[in-house]
Amino acid sequence: MPPSPRARFTELSLLVWVAALAVTGFVAVVGAETSAFGPAALIVPAVYLVLVLALHLFLVAQRFHGDQVLMPVAAGLTAIGLVLVQRLASDLLLQQLSWSIISAGAFAATILIPRDLTALSRFKWTWALLGLLLLIAPLFPLIGREINGARIWIKVGPGSIEPWEAVKLLLVVFFAAYLEEYREVLTQTPRRIGPLPVPPVPYLVPIVAMWGVAMLVMIFEKDIGATLLFFGIFLAMLYLATGEAFYALIGVVLLLGGGFVVYHLFGHVQVRVDTWIRPFDEDLRFGAGYQLVQGLYALANGGLLGAGLGNGMPDRIPVVWSDFVFDAFAEEAGLAGAIALLALNLVFVYRGMLIALRAPTTFLQLLAAGLSFIVALQTLVIVGGNARLIPLTGITLPFVAYGGSSLVTNWMLVALLLRVSDVSTRMRGRP
Amino acid sequence: MEITFAVLLWAVRIAFLVLLYLFLIRAFGALQRSLVTETVVAARPSGIAHLVVQRSIRGAARVGERLPLRAINSIGRDAGNDVVINDEAASAKHALLEFADGEWWIEDAGSTNGTVINGELVRARERLQYGDELAIGRVALRLEQ
Repeated sequence: MPPSPRARFTELSLLVWVAALAVTGFVAVVGAETSAFGPAALIVPAVYLVLVLALHLFLVAQRFHGDQVLMPVAAGLTAIGLVLVQRLASDLLLQQLSWSIISAGAFAATILIPRDLTALSRFKWTWALLGLLLLIAPLFPLIGREINGARIWIKVGPGSIEPWEAVKLLLVVFFAAYLEEYREVLTQTPRRIGPLPVPPVPYLVPIVAMWGVAMLVMIFEKDIGATLLFFGIFLAMLYLATGEAFYALIGVVLLLGGGFVVYHLFGHVQVRVDTWIRPFDEDLRFGAGYQLVQGLYALANGGLLGAGLGNGMPDRIPVVWSDFVFDAFAEEAGLAGAIALLALNLVFVYRGMLIALRAPTTFLQLLAAGLSFIVALQTLVIVGGNARLIPLTGITLPFVAYGGSSLVTNWMLVALLLRVSDVSTRMRGRP
Repeated sequence: MEITFAVLLWAVRIAFLVLLYLFLIRAFGALQRSLVTETVVAARPSGIAHLVVQRSIRGAARVGERLPLRAINSIGRDAGNDVVINDEAASAKHALLEFADGEWWIEDAGSTNGTVINGELVRARERLQYGDELAIGRVALRLEQ
């Protein structure tokens, strides 16, 4: 085959829509803020679009065979995120734009560097150890930081990063490799007590170990979101690898039991649950429940088509740019916009799961499924929290919410999914 | 002047929502199209590539037969292998043929008589290209798509 570039027309045509979306979004928001249309509104979207186009051309030049839908969808969500940062916290816009440039670099590096994806599975214990170290790093006195009640940050130079974000990628790689290694256990019929299968030791040990780690995170780092997320990812991947719903059920029961005990022992969990159940009570409405109450007002205020970009009052919600972007977007773009946002996430996850189905080896299948599941679960947990369906937790809406660590890891996640799809497309010899 | 600006601003806001949906519809459309082509690919009867028998002996695979390959294939005399070579010159577990990151790789599994690619003995994990000839025992196979 000649080493010519390889056109990616679907991706390019979808990126045209991303460009239109970014430009109109910025014009609307800046227009509402300054009461005039000016070229200043176009600087940030222009820089961002050049960046995205560069990524597209990079993939073309690499003769990359992978999927063409994921990258534009992620770029569209990131564009909406930039519009919302301009709207809600314009002083953070440059910072978020720089983070998207770093994310693009991380994306390109992930596409280039691991020559052989399967090789990732050979270092699985390294990933596990690194993940655990990063997970407990915020607990150490010198580098750890507590922000807004959760001790999940470490100091790096002048800023701070959330190591949990990297941990979720490391854990998915580790689980995929681990579950692949013990898949032979599958072929044996599990011993049964009555109708219930007893998990063989290689499955039972990680269930209990992950449960222990999850409880520690909940108690010491005070982060219910992270707990839910990575225990959820683990159970989903265990179910995918074994096909035994009962194993996942054991995990859920353990989590509920542990959660119940922790709820009664530790104040910070009680506060979260209280503000979820009765945020409008006198003692909470202007205290711990203030943020959630304002978020719910924003949701209600949005109505079907929203107040219009730049026309709502989402700035009444404290820390709206990182915790409550979904409510802010729903207020200004309405139910219609909110559903479109969720549908874009759905496209992403659906595409990711298809990549998993097509992947040639168990490791790659579990890897792709686990990565897509991160995005799905994270969206569910934060949107559910914003809408008061479940207790509010401090995790980010993927790609959209303000936050550097989250944006960088999510773009690395996209690159890994693209790599998996690249392998399967090359292998099937399909254009 | 004030009124026209307000009207324009609303037009931009509505355009944003419309574009959001158009983008969503296009993304769904692209998903749908790739799904259709994938179903066609998945409906193909056999493996991702083939070993085509070039030379053989009596009792083993016929010359010209196309043996379908999966992502990881064990080759050997045992009936449990993915590719069975029914020749006493082949070891029970003879070699491992694997697809990893866009390339085919062959590795000898400690066979008695060795695995040969294009006339050269395989010493480590070696890359295999389409069209290469693989000799196991007295059977020769060519890797084809």
